[in-house]
Amino acid sequence: MSISWLKKFGLVAMCFALVLGMSSGALAAKDTLVVANMYDAKSLDPHVTPDVGSAHIMVQIYETLLKTDDKGEIVPSLAESYEKIDDCTYRFHLREGVKFHNGEELKASDVAFTFHRAIEIGKTIGFIVGNIDPASIKVEDDYTIVMGTKTPDTSFLACLTHFGGGCILNEKAVNEAGDDYGTHPVGTGPYKFVDWQKGDRITLTRFDEYWGTKPAIKDVVVRAITEQTNRTIELESGGVDIAYAIPPLDIRRIEENSKLKLIRVPDVSVQYMGFNCSKKPFSDVRVRQAITMALDLEKLNKAVYRGIGGPAYGPIPPRLRYFNTNLSILKYDPERAKELLAEAGYPEGFKASIWTNDRKERIDIATIAQSMLAKVGITVDIQVMEWGAYLDKLSEKQHDMYLMGWSTPIPDPDYAVYGIFHSSQIKGMNKSVYSNPKADELMDRGRTLPDGDERRAIYEELQTLLVQEAPWVFVHNGEEVVGTSKNVKGFVADPAGYHKLYTVSFEE
Amino acid sequence: MWKYVFRRLLYLIPTVIGVTFIVFLLLFITPGDPARMILGDQATEEAVADLREEMGLNDPFLAQYGRYLYNAVFHFDIGRSYVTHAPVTQEIKAAFPATLKLATLAVVLAVVLGIPVGIFSAIKQYSILDNLAMVFALVGISMPVFWLGLLLILLFSVHLGWLPASGFDSFKYMIMPAVTLCTASLAVISRMTRSSMLEVVRQDYIRTARAKGQKERVVVWHHALGNALIPIVTIIGIQFGSLLGGAVLTESIFSVPGVGRLMVEAIKMRDYPVVQGGVLYIAILCSLVNLLVDILYAYIDPRIKSQYS
Repeated sequence: MSISWLKKFGLVAMCFALVLGMSSGALAAKDTLVVANMYDAKSLDPHVTPDVGSAHIMVQIYETLLKTDDKGEIVPSLAESYEKIDDCTYRFHLREGVKFHNGEELKASDVAFTFHRAIEIGKTIGFIVGNIDPASIKVEDDYTIVMGTKTPDTSFLACLTHFGGGCILNEKAVNEAGDDYGTHPVGTGPYKFVDWQKGDRITLTRFDEYWGTKPAIKDVVVRAITEQTNRTIELESGGVDIAYAIPPLDIRRIEENSKLKLIRVPDVSVQYMGFNCSKKPFSDVRVRQAITMALDLEKLNKAVYRGIGGPAYGPIPPRLRYFNTNLSILKYDPERAKELLAEAGYPEGFKASIWTNDRKERIDIATIAQSMLAKVGITVDIQVMEWGAYLDKLSEKQHDMYLMGWSTPIPDPDYAVYGIFHSSQIKGMNKSVYSNPKADELMDRGRTLPDGDERRAIYEELQTLLVQEAPWVFVHNGEEVVGTSKNVKGFVADPAGYHKLYTVSFEE
Repeated sequence: MWKYVFRRLLYLIPTVIGVTFIVFLLLFITPGDPARMILGDQATEEAVADLREEMGLNDPFLAQYGRYLYNAVFHFDIGRSYVTHAPVTQEIKAAFPATLKLATLAVVLAVVLGIPVGIFSAIKQYSILDNLAMVFALVGISMPVFWLGLLLILLFSVHLGWLPASGFDSFKYMIMPAVTLCTASLAVISRMTRSSMLEVVRQDYIRTARAKGQKERVVVWHHALGNALIPIVTIIGIQFGSLLGGAVLTESIFSVPGVGRLMVEAIKMRDYPVVQGGVLYIAILCSLVNLLVDILYAYIDPRIKSQYS
């Protein structure tokens, strides 16, 4: 090769570098809030996906008829008032003058359109809108709509607060966008959608015609940073102002950094080890109780979660309404566990398996449980599966024990129990194949009673029953852990993970 | 020459069809239900069954594959994502630029550094620098990509604060992922260059060129490298083709919105149309890169050009 060849080669290489570097990144100015999300949104159409990554964006763009306040109470939002007509039906009075991001005014027809569409295409939100009776949806005038359920359901109002099934869409915007609506969302929220660089970031800007308190910060950029340690690094280096889902290993780093803040709130999830209650020996309640008592959940939580959250005490997370504060739990007592196993006819123990997906915390839980159960004579084999295969296998109901989580994004105790413990749900979410007529009766009554002392008593009795019956070992209640820069003010972490960015401002 | 190129483009068709058939079959027999993945772990069996029916997943394998192939060939429609409902072409178009930029930069770095290192190692065989270069090559091939990436982040983002840890917004975001990716390729290219040059420099025509008083620089870069280029270009093509398929570990560590991550997420979610579309894209790209390499052969070695004709 001659020297001129080398020069040409070098020039070409430089041109490549220039071409590749043509796109420039905008510096984050003080009127831009940069947030690190765990993964990119799948869609911004609330009827397509209820996943948390998408909900983190949708909660800024959309609003619901009702919402929950800081205490978890249901309060008006787009509906400024409502009244109950009968056990199944409600009338909602909409706020007047509320604008969508495309300039259209919110009307009752939009609400009717939203819920008809949700029922028709919202297969992923069936647990929210499945009980809404489409025939009951009636537009009385531009700002009044009647809507109800097929069967009496006290959790209906709580369902309307959900950022998935409850988001109100603009009929015109949805029809205009057609199949592309998921990338062209239009809501009434404080921020409106600007741009989506798939896999990288979503940009929102303040909606100046918002009916409520306008956000202090003009622009929001939500970046998808899947590697959890990178979210912490970006927070430390100033690349982001807020980082969601800080891993346990990084908590101390943030706490010890004077330029950062850590915000922790108990969430509404339960990690559990379920039994196949239709299969011996787990069909015997003494065996289930024995296994529960053989596990030292305090130590297990410390080892796996390193101080995040803590042991769970029942099916309803402590933050949820009607959590039984006087719950009597099955305490760690390996000697009593051995006695129960002997009474059940297994004095020498038995062999069993724990199934789990490939999530690290669950594998750790299984490993520790294996070691603890060995001390009471139960030999456990752990089977780790990929998520898709795991769900398929669980649906066959051939498992012994399995590890899973359950989250209650709807602020109602019915959602925390009905789908997973009611015998009618054995072909659905009740993977433990648990069937107890008393529990069924309590759940059936609980979902129809209006809120009050009687309903509270039902759910407290139910929690006591489920703890004693032990269809699950209630392993862990989690926390939402968010890191922010010191100059970020007004950020309030939501227990369900629907963090609202429009209350945030920068400290001068 | 053009006949050869046209013939190779025609060969692309059965190649791509064969690849899509194998992938479709693998997806079909893999455990995991797309309907259940879409609806989540809170879905009822009834809802899953309904969705499966709606998506045509209960149809026989050949019916499903036939439908896919018909739409792809006659309507240029490779479907919509089961998860996002966006067209598959749109999903891949969004991911491709990042992968193309990253792969190109990584290969350019590997070539610009690897070839001179390989040449030097061959010319100064068994010298200290040759040994150092080959040890580096061995480390480069052996080092796990994710570990190297994390080390670079630790040094340049955390301790020095020179480069951003993640994202893909401008050139500075590309540096660390490209360096991470290029290391293995650089090692392979330098070793292949060394090996190929060692074969060539021992040839009689090289001895003749030196004997005739030709400058060493000309002997090495013109006579030797020119004849050693064929295997080097082959390996560069293989490396580039494989990088264009997406480097999922690097993309995950640095949050690069590329094809690798797209494919892994699609596989996890059993998003069959995106997996199929992604594989189609990779198969076509790899075939085109191979064709480009074969065309380059003709320009490097005129004897090959006459064979094509």
